[in-house]
Amino acid sequence: MKPNLKPPAWINSLIDSFAPSWLAEEIQGDLYELFVKDILTDNIQSARRRYVVNGLGFLFKNFFWKRSPSQKTATMFSTHFKMARRSLAAQKGNALINILGLVTGIAATLIILTVVRFERSFDAAHSNVDDIYRVVRVSGNDMSEFRTGISYPVPVAMKAEIPALKNMAAMEYFGGANLDILNASGTTAKRFREESGCVLVEPSFFTLFDYGHGGIAWLAGNPDKALVEPFSVVLTKSAAKKYFGDENPIGQSIRFQKQHDAKVTGVIEDFPANTDFPFTVLVSYSTLTKLAGNGINEWVGVSDSHQVFIQLAPGITKEAMEAQIAKVHAAHTPKELHESRHYLLQALRDVHYDPRFGNFSGRTITRETILALQLVALFLLLTGSINYVNLSTAQSTLRAKEIGLRKVMGSNRKTLVFQFLTETFVIVLTADILALALSEALLPLLQPILNLKLNRLNFTDPGILFISLGIVVGVTLVSGFYPAWTISRFHPVRALKNSFATERLGGMSLRKVLVVFQFTLTQILVVGTFIVVSQMRFFQNVDMGFTREAIITARVPDRSAEGLKLLEDQLRAQAFVSDVSFSYTLPSGVNRNRSYSDIGPPESKEMKDYTVYEYVSIDPSYLGLYNIKLLSGRNLTLADSMQNILLNRNLSKTLNLGTPEEAVGKQLKMNGHLVTVVGIVDNYYSNSLKEGFDNIVMVAEPKSFSTVSIKLRAGEHANLPEAVQAIEQLWKKNFPDHVLSYQFFDENIKAFYAQENKYAQLFQLFSLVFLLIGCLGLYGLITFVVNRKGKEVAIRKVLGANVSQILLMFSREYVQLVALSFILAVPVAYYVVNNWLSNFAYHIPLSWWHFATPGLVVLLIALLIVSTKSARTANANPVDKLKYE
Amino acid sequence: MSGRIYLGELEELILLMVALLNKEAYGVGIVDELKAQAGRDISISAVHAVLHRLEEKGFVKSKMGGASSERGGRRKRLFSITAHGRNALEELRDTRHLIWNLIAKTSPA
Repeated sequence: MKPNLKPPAWINSLIDSFAPSWLAEEIQGDLYELFVKDILTDNIQSARRRYVVNGLGFLFKNFFWKRSPSQKTATMFSTHFKMARRSLAAQKGNALINILGLVTGIAATLIILTVVRFERSFDAAHSNVDDIYRVVRVSGNDMSEFRTGISYPVPVAMKAEIPALKNMAAMEYFGGANLDILNASGTTAKRFREESGCVLVEPSFFTLFDYGHGGIAWLAGNPDKALVEPFSVVLTKSAAKKYFGDENPIGQSIRFQKQHDAKVTGVIEDFPANTDFPFTVLVSYSTLTKLAGNGINEWVGVSDSHQVFIQLAPGITKEAMEAQIAKVHAAHTPKELHESRHYLLQALRDVHYDPRFGNFSGRTITRETILALQLVALFLLLTGSINYVNLSTAQSTLRAKEIGLRKVMGSNRKTLVFQFLTETFVIVLTADILALALSEALLPLLQPILNLKLNRLNFTDPGILFISLGIVVGVTLVSGFYPAWTISRFHPVRALKNSFATERLGGMSLRKVLVVFQFTLTQILVVGTFIVVSQMRFFQNVDMGFTREAIITARVPDRSAEGLKLLEDQLRAQAFVSDVSFSYTLPSGVNRNRSYSDIGPPESKEMKDYTVYEYVSIDPSYLGLYNIKLLSGRNLTLADSMQNILLNRNLSKTLNLGTPEEAVGKQLKMNGHLVTVVGIVDNYYSNSLKEGFDNIVMVAEPKSFSTVSIKLRAGEHANLPEAVQAIEQLWKKNFPDHVLSYQFFDENIKAFYAQENKYAQLFQLFSLVFLLIGCLGLYGLITFVVNRKGKEVAIRKVLGANVSQILLMFSREYVQLVALSFILAVPVAYYVVNNWLSNFAYHIPLSWWHFATPGLVVLLIALLIVSTKSARTANANPVDKLKYE
Repeated sequence: MSGRIYLGELEELILLMVALLNKEAYGVGIVDELKAQAGRDISISAVHAVLHRLEEKGFVKSKMGGASSERGGRRKRLFSITAHGRNALEELRDTRHLIWNLIAKTSPA
């Protein structure tokens, strides 16, 4: 035969790989036989062609794809799924409860994990992230003051004197600013007021922080030169769009704070949502030399918004660098300063997680909080699994016959376990898919509470998909294995005879344990939430020492005496205004001016003789407007200027001035001058209730008045928008160059607790979910018990039991379980809540009813579920149950 | 008579071939025979499919035969008709006879 008289080999391998093994031989044999015949009658090409056609023909035949019963694994698998589907369909109610419980649990878990992943992604992508540190300032004799601000000359000296510094970026984040967009002739075209995002930054920022992939993209301008010259500004894409629309922003001018003109030299891509550098307007750092004047050489003075990030050269430890910085600092400053102030390093990895220092985004989350969130997620999954375990072990008696028959028919234990795990898997998988969809739908609604800015869907996040896959496997094993194990243990003969009584099942005691565990978790959370919410309410309502309702505040652009007088007169002329006051700052609130100085007895000389106080400059109406109580002496008049002062009681006590009455008339030394105390005001909370009272000195210094407080007349609440509108018009008339940026004083105070309020909301949500899952489980259990005990109830009724006795019989056990879990939950909840409350200098006293109230509520809910479900059985006519005997 | 017999035209034809070849029936043999006896060109895969169907229905049974060099050393599966298959064929034939006889009687010559 000629050498290439062979059939195409690929057809053979195709048949080998797809045909059932016992068919391949005859098919190939027949094909070969035909092939040989074709060669003899025809030519080789057509023989080969027909070989292919004939061979492919088999692929279109049914029998070719059939598998024989001896190939078990595949068919067994599909049988398991078939059985799973059937048994789920047979117990729809149970499956529904299980799936509902799991869906809620998994959806909540996915949401929590999305939040955790988002928080942990903050500035984690920079390629040098492990070498980058922030220089922070820790001061005080006991190193108790944690701040971020660095004196201006420090980075300059560090750069010059520390060779091990690989890279450094200094920045001054001034946050808000007035921005006027100038047109070609230099007149103002548009005005903007930004509350955040404005920063002075060194060009090295972009090499230090590369956001994982070559840095923030430059859409226009030269990255190396754009931020070199003073008064250069780089805008993010969205800022450029906002200010200039579709015009080319490069070369345009922006006037900052009505006085400094800067040129746009570049446009960059927006910063990602998960960064603690939320910049939109980036001005060259060299501008600082023009703005700060002599302050640029000031080693003592410090502003917290001036921060320095450095990158260490490989091999240099954090401690070694701290030592070098200390040396530089010591070389330039007097002993007194460098002994009480320490410049230390904080890893970039900690910037997002350490609230002591804070960051530019104003958003920190402690690692403990993240851990707590993860624990909650884990517990949510656990309670969902517990429901499953409880319900399926309870139901197992009903399936005893099935198990018995399966065993008689030759099933071994391994296949049975596998069978039940498949059933669990189907349920968990369904729940997981539903939960994924649910979490997707809920996340947009929850974004305000969670403070999330997600830029992609969970479905497309491989991390979340991976996690949800892990959840499916984990939950399937955790919740499926025990029921599968107990159920498959049944002895076939006894199971077939149905000689199982519910009590005989070993699962009963475990079920109780699980219910207790589940409700303990629930109660811890419910009690915790109740107390957190009480504390939040306390914050809203507690008397902080001043009035906070119906006050609108705004910054005053014109500080001249005439300007202020004019504004005051015009405001007072409005019908809705009851009082107007000018001051340097507000009594309290997140957004206000703060300034501190020293005061001491007249004979004070050294620094340690002085006490730090907060400077408050007020006009005569201030105390009245804010209802701050004058304990002794008299109110200030504008004539008092800096000579006569008011102290708060706290400072008076610190300075040992005796009773408020005795303090009046005493002399003190302030800024090197002697001043006289003319009155004492009562303490008020100038900070949040997380902190105590501060030392406060009030003076009447009109040149520092920068804030106006407008008190609305009582009953004007309904017309608030009109009041604001009237003020806005007045503003436009008086200050045509300035945009009114006002705030409500009570909201300013509320902002102290923004973070806590979010947690409170989150915890309310969590406890609701826990309660829901727990109650679902309880509902499922009681449904089962009630169905099983139908006959028992009927007999009891025939023998004279009444409905309430039967209800009692059903509820007693569950009430006991819930009560037990309450007893277990109280110490844990007490520990956790007490810990949390100790964050606040001023908090609610814990008393027994803080625990008893939520506990009772949970108990009542449980009781309600158990008794409504059992009531139907209790009320049923015994005849219906008994006549089929 | 044991229930109805479902046998398609091609199935009947191939079952006949199996009976004809008498224990020596296999794929290629049947293809050849179909060509020779009935003038039908049926693809080998179709023949296999029908044989499997017939086997499932219990009309034929099969066993592996000896290897032969013309098949590249592969064995063939040899089919033979079962009693049930033969009954089915006979029943079909009888039914047809019956009907043909009726046709002969009713239609004029």
